[in-house]
Amino acid sequence: MSSESSKKRKPKVIRSDGAPAEGKRNRSDPEQEGKYYSEEAEVDLRDPGRDYELYKYTCQELQRLMAEIQDLKSRGGKDAAVEIEDRRILSCVHFMTLKKLNRLAHIRLKKGRDQTHEAKQKVDAYHLQLQNLLYEVMHLQKEITKCLEFKSKHEEIDLVSVEEFYQEAPPDISKAEITMGDPHQQTLARLDWELEQRKRLAEQYRESLSNKEKILKEIEVKKEYLSSLQPRLNSIMQASLPVQEYLFMPFDQAHKQYETARHLPPPLYVLFVQAKALFKPHEESQDDESDSDAEEEQTTKRRRPTLGVQLDDKRKEMLKRHPLSVMLDLKCKDDSVLHLTFYYLMNLNIMTVKARVTTATELITPISAGDLLSPDSVLSCLYPGDHGKKTPNPANQYQFDKVGILTLRDYVLDLGHPYLWVQKLGGLHFPKEQPQPTVIADHSLSSSHMETTMKLLKTRVQSRLALHKQFASLEHGIVPVTSDCHYLFPAKVVSRLVKWVTIAHEDYVELHFTKDIVEAGLAGDTNLYYMALVERGTAKLQAAVVLNPGYSSIPPIFQLCLNWKGEKTNSNDDNIRAMESEVNVCYKELCGPRPGHQLLTNQLQRLCVLLDVYLETEIHDDSVEGPKEFPQEKMCLRLFRGPSRMKPFKYNHPQGFFSHR
Amino acid sequence: MERAVPPTVPLGQMEVFQALQRLHMTIFSQCFSPCGKFLAAGNNYGQIAIFSLSAALSSEAKEESKKPIVTFQAHDGPVYSMVSTDRHLFSAGDGEVKAWLWAEILKKGCKELWCRQPPYRTSLEVPEINALLLVPKENSLILAGGDCQLHTMDLETGTFTRALRGHTDYIHCLALRDRNPEVLSGGEDGTVRLWDLRMAKEVQTIEVYKHEECSRPHNGRWIGCLATDSDWMVCGGGPALTLWHLRSSTPTTIFPMWAPQKHVTFYQDLILSAGQGPCVNQWQLSGELKAQVPGSSPGLLSLSLNQQPAAPECKVLTAAGNSCRVDVFTNLGYRAFSLSF
Repeated sequence: MSSESSKKRKPKVIRSDGAPAEGKRNRSDPEQEGKYYSEEAEVDLRDPGRDYELYKYTCQELQRLMAEIQDLKSRGGKDAAVEIEDRRILSCVHFMTLKKLNRLAHIRLKKGRDQTHEAKQKVDAYHLQLQNLLYEVMHLQKEITKCLEFKSKHEEIDLVSVEEFYQEAPPDISKAEITMGDPHQQTLARLDWELEQRKRLAEQYRESLSNKEKILKEIEVKKEYLSSLQPRLNSIMQASLPVQEYLFMPFDQAHKQYETARHLPPPLYVLFVQAKALFKPHEESQDDESDSDAEEEQTTKRRRPTLGVQLDDKRKEMLKRHPLSVMLDLKCKDDSVLHLTFYYLMNLNIMTVKARVTTATELITPISAGDLLSPDSVLSCLYPGDHGKKTPNPANQYQFDKVGILTLRDYVLDLGHPYLWVQKLGGLHFPKEQPQPTVIADHSLSSSHMETTMKLLKTRVQSRLALHKQFASLEHGIVPVTSDCHYLFPAKVVSRLVKWVTIAHEDYVELHFTKDIVEAGLAGDTNLYYMALVERGTAKLQAAVVLNPGYSSIPPIFQLCLNWKGEKTNSNDDNIRAMESEVNVCYKELCGPRPGHQLLTNQLQRLCVLLDVYLETEIHDDSVEGPKEFPQEKMCLRLFRGPSRMKPFKYNHPQGFFSHR
Repeated sequence: MERAVPPTVPLGQMEVFQALQRLHMTIFSQCFSPCGKFLAAGNNYGQIAIFSLSAALSSEAKEESKKPIVTFQAHDGPVYSMVSTDRHLFSAGDGEVKAWLWAEILKKGCKELWCRQPPYRTSLEVPEINALLLVPKENSLILAGGDCQLHTMDLETGTFTRALRGHTDYIHCLALRDRNPEVLSGGEDGTVRLWDLRMAKEVQTIEVYKHEECSRPHNGRWIGCLATDSDWMVCGGGPALTLWHLRSSTPTTIFPMWAPQKHVTFYQDLILSAGQGPCVNQWQLSGELKAQVPGSSPGLLSLSLNQQPAAPECKVLTAAGNSCRVDVFTNLGYRAFSLSF
């Protein structure tokens, strides 16, 4: 700015912007052409240090003058005014000096600022240039690297190796002389060769594709031909059925059965196979079928079930049966049939069975025989302790806990009984000591148990039917003794059976004379309980009977209570105890001919005989008047024997007298 | 009243039969070994079981200690009576008496030393032997039972020396009077007879049922048990338990027990008796009932006191009867435990 203003040559005085106060002093200065007063130029010439000194001196002077003036004014006097005036003029001069110094300072400041600004601008410009250049450098470097990194597509192609190339390629492509030396040419040649080879191979591929199409079409044609064959064969087989029947070779039936059997779950299949194997030589003994149960197939879908219903569904799901079942019909000698239906519970991996007995003639069930042939209890305890109310698979307990099933007992009526022998027949073995994670059906287990179990089943049915008949007779007060058991008893038996009823397990346990049996653990809830009443004259003998499901290999147990001249039981009368012993312990001689179904009736008859002996051998009390109520009719050698004075309860055949054991 | 029903174990045919046998078992006789450490018991099936008392009484006795060490079939019929000498055990039942060696008896498959039958009159039915009595002075054994006679057998020679007749019905029990060599016998005919062994004849007969104080006609007149202590005799059975003065043949004290007693014995200053009913009764000589200690059987047939000097720690009273258990009383006040067949 200052250089600018100094270059301006104008006739007028031009005031520069930076020094407005200059006007006062500069007015008086003469203006020459080409010459003008510039304070800026003066600034450059003067020394700032000296200016500073001048300033200090001027301020001092001013202060002195003011002090003098002050003195003079305070003293007063006539001279004072002139002195003051002098001094005043001097101070004005000093003031002007100060003003100039001030101006100079300002100008210096401005100059300094301008110079700084200029330099800064230059620096900025250089800086910018530098940035630009650097940026360009970077850009160029990037480009260079890009170029260096460039991969041509030709490098992605898998070319054959160089040696192979030279071996295989024809000379007009490989052009060995040129390519050996020049890698660029070599690569070009290799690419050429590659292209040719590929073209050739593509051609081959197209040819083989069309071949394949042709062959596929041929296969289709042949398949259709074969499938048309199947219905024709079927019709031939149908036509042959009458021939089969005529020749008594029901292959078809058996085949169908085996077909369905293939869909059986493993345990049922094992059962099926083993049962067929066992009964092959005796066809008439059994009938084997596998049945599909349609209603089991589908479960209906429900919408938004509540929790209770959901649980129910889960339970149903858990207890679901396999839709196929095996039906086994065991025919016994007297034409009664035991129908067994075996089911398989899929989620629980156990088998269950439902049983039904049908007889050749219609059975009228006596009241007390209600439980004998009921499907629920006819097969109970086939083997000791096998009551079929608990699941034999220990893993099921955890499954039950999840859906809140307490025990399988609640569902057995519906699902069938999971007896242990049923599991064995299906080849399922659940060892207690080491629970297996998965139990697989085993043929050998099934075959080893099949025969014994079938025999036991037949014996069970027959003994129950025998009991059935006997009960009908017992309820009418007649003890049916068969002719081949007559030798066990004397000809004349006076005591009669007057009552034969069923009693409940709880009632049996509550009786006062059955304590011993209950404490010995012989009165469980799987047994059947009966009460018999034998009478003669005023004497009444009550007999509580425990019938074990394993009758007749396990004998019925009798407990007696005699009401005659007081109540006598085994706790207060040794002879009653002896009578019980005669029936309970010496039962083997009462079994009768095999298979021993007469045991119960023989025991009852013997009880009547024992009562006769007891009453007739009772010593007559001389102090009481009147004749003996029961005159002695039995022939006895001795009336009493031994320290406990036993009566002669043992009947000897054929002599017909009574003696002691 | 609710009764706890024990859980049933699956019972096969064998288990049921064995359980029934045990329920209907009666132990008729007991005998201590000469060393005092063992007890032999005979039951109605003809079996004899040997129990180790010392094991059962010891502090670390377990359940197995209360079972017999060995059980063997001794007789075909019930074992009604047993007595023991220093070395032998004599058992008698259906008409024959057998001898066993105590030293051998604990071994398996023990066989009897000898088996003898006294000469019976009748051959139609073999009479039982209800009582055995040792007469140490003569070294002989007296047998009495179903044929109404007392037979004496000399233990050295094994011959039957005497047959004393007199009873009209079979003999239940015998007792030995120490001072004079006299034997008392009580029988089904209701009499107690005294026999002099040297003279081999009957010296006194007491018809108990004829005395009104003690007779109880509704029970019968049979004498089931006898015990004697020099001049005194206590007997019971059908008639009430009575203490008699022998010389005068008078009943001095009637013990007011309704149930017929099957075994009675003198012990210190008490009379112990047992019979129908589960309790062992202790009587003062004055006729007062001192105590009634219940056992585990519904009726008792025999009491036995182990007074062998060789085993003072096994000094117990055992009672057995209409069950398969032998109750052991270490102290007369209560039943300690029961041995069982």
